[in-house]
Amino acid sequence: MLPLSLLNAAQNKPMLVELKNGETFNGHLVNCDNFMNITLREVYQTNAEGDRFWKLKECYIRGSTIKYLRVPDPLLDAVKEEQKMARELGRSARGSHVSGSGNRGGRGAPQRGGRGGMVRGGPTRGGRGRGRGA
Amino acid sequence: MSGLQGYVDQRVLLILQDGRAIVGVMAGYDQKSNVVLSDSKERVYSPDEGVEEIPLGLYLVKGDQIVLIGELDEALDQSVDLATIRAEPLPPIRY
Repeated sequence: MLPLSLLNAAQNKPMLVELKNGETFNGHLVNCDNFMNITLREVYQTNAEGDRFWKLKECYIRGSTIKYLRVPDPLLDAVKEEQKMARELGRSARGSHVSGSGNRGGRGAPQRGGRGGMVRGGPTRGGRGRGRGA
Repeated sequence: MSGLQGYVDQRVLLILQDGRAIVGVMAGYDQKSNVVLSDSKERVYSPDEGVEEIPLGLYLVKGDQIVLIGELDEALDQSVDLATIRAEPLPPIRY
């Protein structure tokens, strides 16, 4: 499992962030990006010595300054389950594409028609051909 | 296959640049060696007390902080009584 998928799934969840300088930030994750830049809300900041505290409404932390993040344990199973569902969905979509059955098509784009649409197109062209011949 | 794939779902020892030693099950990693550790514990070494294990839970460690990742021999590890181990903690890296 990718660290960033775990982080993305942690949105609105509480977490502890420790920076490389030892400061820690306790808060709820608002947003994050692929650099691990994050915004937290309702934050308790603690200095490296652990003897001074600050309360912040919201803060932005540059990803490169982070040492580690601590996230709630249940998140791991939540993400694993999510990925399993996504895999099964992808497999069933591909399966129908290969067998050519139905118009669900591959890559989850029913609007484009896929194989099913083309098969239906065949007889139509054939019909026109016969018409001209006669 | 990249170098960390073999460690996935294994119990590993992580050493960080600040000298911390963390053991946990590697749940995942990425291109930058960021690592997800589940069921992780910090091992705090001290010269006049046994090793203290502090439960940390689910951890996401940034790759640039990691000095070392090692597979843990679980049988061997469990045969060691941490309470009897006396050792200086690793100092942090100095620049």
